[in-house]
Order: sequence, then C-alpha cells, then structure tokens
Amino acid sequence: MPRKPVRKPIRKKSARGRTRRRSSAQRGNKRRYFFAVGLLLLALLAAYLGYLNYLINSRFDGGAWALPSRVYARALELYPGSDLTRKHLVYELELSSYLRVDTPPLPGEYRLLGASLEFHSRAFEFTDQAQAARQLQVFFDDGHILALTDSTTSADLAVFRVPPLILGSYYPQSGQDRLLLAESEVPERLVAALIAVEDRSFYQHSGVSPFAILRALWANLKAGKTVQGGSTLTQQLAKNMFLTPERSLPRKINEAFMALLLELRFSKQAIITAYINEVFLLQQNRIAIHGFARASRMLFNRGVDRLAPEQLALLVGMVKGPSRYNPLTAPEAALERRNLVLKIMQQQGLLDMTAYESARAKALGVARKLPGVNPFPAYLDMAKQQLQSSYSDAELSRQGLRVFTAFDPLVQQNLERGLARGLQRFKQPELQAAVVMTDYLNGDILALVGDRVTDYPGFNRALMAQRQIGSLIKPLLLYTLLQGDLSLASLVTDQPIRIRQSNGDVWEPRNYDRKLHGKMSLYEAFIRSYNLPFIALGVEQGGLEALALSLEKIKLLKHEVVYPSMLLGTTAMSAFEVAQMFQVIANNGYFTPLTTIRSVTDQQNRTLARIPLESHKLFDQARMIQVQRAMVGVGEQGTARYLAQRFGEQTLAGKTGTTNDARDSWFAGFSERLLSVVWLGRDDNAPIGLTGSSGALRVWADIMELQGFEPFKLSRDDSLVWRHIDALTGGISQQGCANSVLLPIPKDRIPKTRARCQ
Amino acid sequence: MPVTRSIFSFGRLAILALVAICAACSVPEQEPDNRYQRSIEDASSEAEAVAAAVIQLQNQALAAINEDQYPLAIDYLQRAIKIQPRNAWSWHYLADIYWRRGEYEHCLSMIERSHSYSQNDPAVDDANAALRDQCQ
Repeated sequence: MPRKPVRKPIRKKSARGRTRRRSSAQRGNKRRYFFAVGLLLLALLAAYLGYLNYLINSRFDGGAWALPSRVYARALELYPGSDLTRKHLVYELELSSYLRVDTPPLPGEYRLLGASLEFHSRAFEFTDQAQAARQLQVFFDDGHILALTDSTTSADLAVFRVPPLILGSYYPQSGQDRLLLAESEVPERLVAALIAVEDRSFYQHSGVSPFAILRALWANLKAGKTVQGGSTLTQQLAKNMFLTPERSLPRKINEAFMALLLELRFSKQAIITAYINEVFLLQQNRIAIHGFARASRMLFNRGVDRLAPEQLALLVGMVKGPSRYNPLTAPEAALERRNLVLKIMQQQGLLDMTAYESARAKALGVARKLPGVNPFPAYLDMAKQQLQSSYSDAELSRQGLRVFTAFDPLVQQNLERGLARGLQRFKQPELQAAVVMTDYLNGDILALVGDRVTDYPGFNRALMAQRQIGSLIKPLLLYTLLQGDLSLASLVTDQPIRIRQSNGDVWEPRNYDRKLHGKMSLYEAFIRSYNLPFIALGVEQGGLEALALSLEKIKLLKHEVVYPSMLLGTTAMSAFEVAQMFQVIANNGYFTPLTTIRSVTDQQNRTLARIPLESHKLFDQARMIQVQRAMVGVGEQGTARYLAQRFGEQTLAGKTGTTNDARDSWFAGFSERLLSVVWLGRDDNAPIGLTGSSGALRVWADIMELQGFEPFKLSRDDSLVWRHIDALTGGISQQGCANSVLLPIPKDRIPKTRARCQ
Repeated sequence: MPVTRSIFSFGRLAILALVAICAACSVPEQEPDNRYQRSIEDASSEAEAVAAAVIQLQNQALAAINEDQYPLAIDYLQRAIKIQPRNAWSWHYLADIYWRRGEYEHCLSMIERSHSYSQNDPAVDDANAALRDQCQ
C-alpha cells in the first residue's frame, strides 16, 4: 500500500532552505537592483553634473558675456594753430566723462586755469599704438590753440590726440550693457565691501554655506516671512549667470550644484570678479546695466577705482534690490540702504569712524539723469550699415569690437542745434529732415541726422529715404556740358522744348517759375536754375549719356535705361548719396568714398580692419573748377543769394533743389573743407510748400553759421584764364559793369565778342 | 619859307597808334584781381599755422616707413592730412608707402593728389615725377 506521502521534514527544511536561498537571492537581486539603480542614478547625476559643467564652460571660460561693440568718435587732435576754443574743448571733455576739478587733475579730470585749460588724459589703446595717461595744459588765443605743454615736464608739444569718446554701442539681443573688469582691475575695497554685506564667509565656504542657510531659515521663521537669504555670492553668481530668478526647489538645487562646481573649477578671485561683472544694477530704457564698472560710469561718471566710500556703498547696496534702491527713482530708500552698508563697512573695519561719519553725511551725488542710450542713432546706424558688409549682427553685438569712426561731436552738436533752429522757421510738425556733414577732402562723414528729432532711433532718412533730387543734378550735368565747346560764357537760350519719348509721348518740360527768359550765358542759366536750356543742351549735345556715365563712375546710376527727365533730377537719392555726388565736385574731381568707419579692432586691440584714405581722379579738374565757380555764383546772385545776404563776402558754393509741387527741398553746399547736404520733406510725400531756397537753404545756413567755416576758394589751374564776362550776353566785359562776373574760362574758349558796359 | 612839320602829323600819329597797339598785343593780359581763387599766400599761411604738428607727424611716418611699419606710417599721414589736407608732401609720402607695398594704382592716385597741391613746388614735383616712374 502506498504510503501517503508525508511532508518530510527535510522537505520542510529544504523549503525553508529554499526560502532562505530565495530570500538570499532576492537580497542579491535587490542588491543588484539597488546597485543598478544606484549606478543609473550616479550616471544620471554625472550626466547632470556634466551638463551643468558644460553650461559653466560655455559661459564662464571664454566669451562669458555678450559684449556690446563700442563705437568711438574721432580722436580730437590738439595742436598749436588748431581752430579750437576752450569752450569746445570743455564740451568734448565733458562728453568723454571728464570731471571738472579745482585741484591738479587726475586721469579723467580737467580744470580751468585763467584762459588755459589743464586736463589729464586717460590712457588709451589706439589702433596704431597705446597712449599713456598724460597731464597737459592747453593755451588759447582768439579762437585758436596757442600752445600745448606737458604739465609734468613743461615741454611744448606739437600735437596730441585726446582719447575718443564712445558715441554709442551695438547691444546684444539681451539688451545687456556692461564694461568688463579684469581680475587685476577689481578694487580690493569693492570686494571687501561686497563680502562684508553679502557673504562674510565667502573665503571659507565651498560654494554653499549650510550655516548661512540655517541662519537664514531661523531668521525667516522668526519673522514669519522671508527676510534673509542664505545664498552665498557663488550661488548668486550661478543664479544670475545660468538660471532663472524663479523660486523653486529644483532651481535651488541646480544653483547649489553649480555653485559647488564653480568653486571646484575657479579661484575665489575669478568668482568674485565674475560676480562684479555680472550683477544687474540698473535699467535704462530697454538697456539693462550689468556690472559695477558700467553702473559706476552711468551714475557717477567715473571708474570703480575712483569711487568715494559713499558711492561704493550705494552700488553695493543696490545689489540687494536694483529697482527698490534705485537712487534715481527711489532716492530715500537708496540713501537708507547706502547708510546701512556704510555702517556695516565701519563695523567690519573697512572704514574708520571719521570716514564713516563723513561719508554718511554726503548726498547721493548721482547723475540727475542717466546719459542717453546711443544719443546719435543716425550716425550709429550709418556706421552699422557700412560695417555689415564685413561683420554680422551677432559679431557686432556680442564680440565687444572697437569701432573707430570719423564722428565729430562738435560738428554734430552744431548740426543738431542748427537744424532745430532752422526747423522752427517753418512751423510744420510733419516736416522731416535729413542732414549729412562731411569733410570732402578726406571722405570723413563727420555728423549725421536722420530725423527732425535727432536722438530718435527710427527710420534713418539720411541713409534710407530715397527722394528725387531736382536741380541738385545740374552741377554734374553742367560738368558734362562743359566738355564740349561750351564754357560758362557760352550763350544759351531759354525757350520751349518738346521731346518725343521712346513710347511716343511728348514731353514738354517747364521752368520752375513757368516763364521763359530768352538768351543768356550758361552761367546765368545755371545760377537761376532754369531747366529748359539744360534739357535742350543735354538732349542735343549728348549730355544725357555723359551724365549717366558720370553717375556710373561714382556708383550712383540708378537706372539701366536713361531717360530725358533725368536731366531734371528725377533720379531718387538719399542725402548720403547726394553728399557723395557733391564730394567729387567739391574735391576737384577726386573721388573719395565717404565713410564713417576708419578702423575696427577686437577686444585685445588686434586690428581687424582699416579703411585707408582713398583718392581717385575720376573727373577733370579744370572743368570741375568751372562748375564750382558757377556754384559760388548760385550763392552770390542765384537761387541761394540768401547766402550772400547772410554771410557777406565769405564765399560758399552750393545748389538748391526743388521737386514737383515742392515735395522735396534740398540744399547741398560747401566751404573750404566742409560739405553739407540738407533735405526737408514729408514721409507721406505731401507738398511742403518750400523750395530749396526757402527751405533747406535756410537750415543749411543756420547750421553753417553755428559751425563756422573757412570761405571756399577755387584751386588754380593752368588751363584756365579768368575773365570778366557779361552774364547776360556772354561777351567780354569789365570789372564794375552791370552783370559783369569774373569767370574761369578755358584758354581756347575765350569769348570773341565784347559786351557793352552798362 | 620853310614848312614846319608838326610832330603830331596824321602819319606819325598813325604810326604811334600802331606801335602802341602792337605793344599792347605783346604784353600778356594780366589776370584780374581774383578773390575766388586760392592764392599761394593762402596756402602758405595755412601751412605755417599748423606746420609743427604736420611736420612731426610726417617725421614719425618717415621713421615708421624706415622700420617697414607701413600701417603705422599710414595712420600718421592720415592724421597729418586731417590737420592739413592740402599738404603735397603728406600725399607724396602716402604714395611712397603704396609703392613700397606694390600697390601701384594707389601710388599713382596719391601722386596725382600730391601734384594737385604742389603749387608747382619743384621739390615735391620732382619727387612725384621720380616716384611716378617707379609706380608705372
């Protein structure tokens, strides 16, 4: 009989053993599981830390910050004989943030001494060489520099360059502006004050301070709200540089890890320097001012190395709440905070009691208004346009390039004031303006305005507004006509003309005054800006094709097909392009490309680009001199005779331009060295009721009066002789006769007829 | 009765008139007093006022040329030209640099410009002529 199977103890035993084995296996599994999970977690942590490390590398190591490119004005040259008044030098120095003092000036300061001015220039890295800081005294005499001496050695100097001011910056997309300090440039007392106020255990902790966290926790519990933060400076840096300002646990964890990594990777000095460069301190319109160096310049107009204790305390105090303690919008809170910082500095032994009391008694002493963000937008825009063939937007706004331009702040000031004064005459709020001022001998664009509100950074009309130029085309047309048998004395007829165009239409141009004026010299027709003789000559003598060729030479031919109405100036140009056209006329036919840029360097002052002075002889000098003489006549007796009324015998050359229904009012003119173009009109192209003579010319004169100028003189040319010519008949006349004008005539084209003296 | 012949006889007057006309023909017509034209005096007074600055910069440029530092020399000369744009020597030195760099087209352009300001000064005209030969 089979036995009922019974559970054998061994089985029981073995089951127990199995259980034991199983639990041991389970434990092993668990261990393996935990080990695997642990490994995975470690891998994840490593990956996470690797990612954080990557973030730190990408920002902290090289190119930590997107640095705006700085655009510099021209360097003011001081030399005996220069037409510079003390008032102008003061203006230039103040724009460059020099402080007026009564004691011997330190770098960045100046003082007035009798009729002279003493200043201490800052050290500066020019493109070509470094220039050390230097103390100089400038003596003036009747609107000129009389002498220039080195205050230290008393030696006379022949010439000295004042380091140029920054006229603006190209900011990154983030809208952040900062000046970077190197580790060696960070003042020790700034570091000490910052540590005393924000993180006293900075040199002891490794990025995170548990003690500080507990202390903050306790303080917050006691107060029932957040009154103290436990973040170290390193954590704050991690948050500012890499994280968002949100208050969440993951963010805090990220912050702590990053702080630890930062401390592992970098020295304390590198971390504090980064903090000083990174921290947000001020908002100025759309630009966020980061870092102590820039904020110090903005608020106190001086570098961080030159801050008084109360100024330094204010900046350190602002770290806690840039908006809450903004000295411009919340001066009382800012003062209270500053005094608290001063107290801490005194308690921590950074200030003795006397210095503390003295600093505490001081007013905030900040600038009443922050200096404008890019107060010369049109010039900055023009420079950017010219740079964009070589540099991308990203390069310009991130790489901290140094762009050296031809911008002249003294000329810009006169241009802006003259324009404001000129526009007041017309009482037309819709009237817009564009002005370009250049040195036509070397191609420098000295000053520029692209809007009647000169600091408005909108549409830059000087560069972008393409408008018909009207009679501004006539000087170049006159040049082309003079290459045939014609001279300024040639007799022309102002009579009706009908031109059949290629499409069969008949074009019947008219004079602006819609009258006919009969016979006269070419000179007379030019200065009165009569259209019909020029159209007739242009069509009959191949002037149209020659004009197109001339425009092509200076890269201003806008149409593939030339048409007769071009002779009336229907070609559209910007004020800048007009300036280029007149540059070649004023400069005896030598074409020099107008430019804002002179050189570009990187942050380390390695030259990236130089724009050399160019000069190309594209036109005949003798003929250009005749054109210039006719343009002088415009200002003496022609459509711009207002110039003679206003400036007497100070010779100026120019040309008015008016388009149909007086939609555009132009004037382009030049003195011995300056060429300026003024355009007035409306953006909707509506009539403005102003001719070139009644509009732009007046503004031009207002600008030139403020600017001051040397009268224009024509160059000598052996192929020309000067004769008194009767402007009405073109015959030889005498000095003193009515209608007699002194004109340059090619030797082989001297008129044979004699005019009756009247 | 002797006939006294007046020295103012018609024939003599005619001869005198002819002589006078011929004399007038042979004398070149004088240039009128010309306030529009830049005189040599204008140029020299302008040059005198700023001479020290321009000469120093030109000398610095020449020193830089001797050390083959052409960009630096160009900077000096551009500064000199900014101060006194119609100085024929500054343009000549620029031409010289371009010749040394093998930029002959630029060299010729600068010589042209220098010549236009030379006021027929033989020293600068000769220097330009010699350099022009090299650049062509």
